[in-house]
Amino acid sequence: MERYARGDEAAFGALYDALAPRLLGFLRKATRDACAAEDLMQLTLLHMHRARGSFISGAPVSAWAFAIARRLMTDHARRRRVEQRLFSEARADDDRMAYEPTAATAAADDVLHARRLEVRLRQRIEALPELQRTAYRLLQQEGLSLKSAAEVLGTSVTAVKLRAHRAYVALRAVLREAGEPS
Amino acid sequence: MSAELRARVLAAATAEPSPTRAAVRRRNMLIGMVAAASGIGAFVIFAVLMSESHLLRLGGEVVPQQRLERPVWLVVATVGGALGVAATAVWLALGRGRSMLGRSPRWLLYGGVLIPVSLLVWKVSCSLAIGDAMVAWPERPGERCLSLSLLVAVGPLLSFLAIRRHAPVQPALNGAAIGFAAGACAWVAADLWCPVAYVPHLLLGHVLPLFVLAGAGALLGRTLLSLRHR
Repeated sequence: MERYARGDEAAFGALYDALAPRLLGFLRKATRDACAAEDLMQLTLLHMHRARGSFISGAPVSAWAFAIARRLMTDHARRRRVEQRLFSEARADDDRMAYEPTAATAAADDVLHARRLEVRLRQRIEALPELQRTAYRLLQQEGLSLKSAAEVLGTSVTAVKLRAHRAYVALRAVLREAGEPS
Repeated sequence: MSAELRARVLAAATAEPSPTRAAVRRRNMLIGMVAAASGIGAFVIFAVLMSESHLLRLGGEVVPQQRLERPVWLVVATVGGALGVAATAVWLALGRGRSMLGRSPRWLLYGGVLIPVSLLVWKVSCSLAIGDAMVAWPERPGERCLSLSLLVAVGPLLSFLAIRRHAPVQPALNGAAIGFAAGACAWVAADLWCPVAYVPHLLLGHVLPLFVLAGAGALLGRTLLSLRHR
């Protein structure tokens, strides 16, 4: 990013390679819509491209990228809700997919059990309040530090710890119910 | 990750040229000069219209046979202190520390409390040294200082928002901090022009505009600094 801020146009490709897979993964999990995730990832990188001149030397790039992605995602979700209300579109099938039984080809009980558990955990993560869910994803799935996650969420490190802790408690409860060691 | 997506993103970036760091620095310097010029211009116009071109007022007749006077050293002390606070407020609002996401909400909230308090405390404590400046001036409740502050601050407020441009996190809070910074700059002009240090006058004419500007900054920040409007 430093090279790109100084005017090295070729550095954008390297920036893309470093950030795009993580951003796309984050956005796919959050939106559960591959097309929307790709659009939002593209928009995020274009925002970074437009703001490259104001980049601060040595500033963490990933926290900035995730903050932009999160803001765009929130805006996208809000717009989609308004559109759905306006045009009364049928709900996407994504939600139902999670409840459908997994492929019945697996014979072994433990595989079935693991898949059911995975589905339940995913459902529980989706049911978490947005702030807890994002804190959990940024820390556990994207590997951001507490400080970076706090910056992305625009809050304090203590608040992020609390949100992540509540998410862990909820997920541990699912594991306990399933008889798994939490 | 598809190569087609990568090519699409890179092509979109190439199609939309963006300023480099050097260009942004030049642009910000220009906007900063416009901010200073607009603030000084508004101050001069106001002084010409309201007090026969007196940019610096040292006193006047408060009521028949009672005058309010402030010595030049008091003006230097109060204006100097206000300049220091204004510079700190601008640094707090426009600087982003070592993060692209700007200062933490806690810092911005502290600034929102400490900037008005320190300006008021500095003005009152300096004026306490001479009793005259603290007397009430019935003809000057503070509405002229209020309009002076708002008039002087408009240019800096808009310029600071243009310099800040992006605030992916807490745009309204960043806008409010910018409003406080513009208000602190306007305080310097009001302090130069107004000899009154009567506390109710200061609250109405000098402190209230800080909060009005912070509110306006929050609203504008939410609209202009937020990513969704780009």
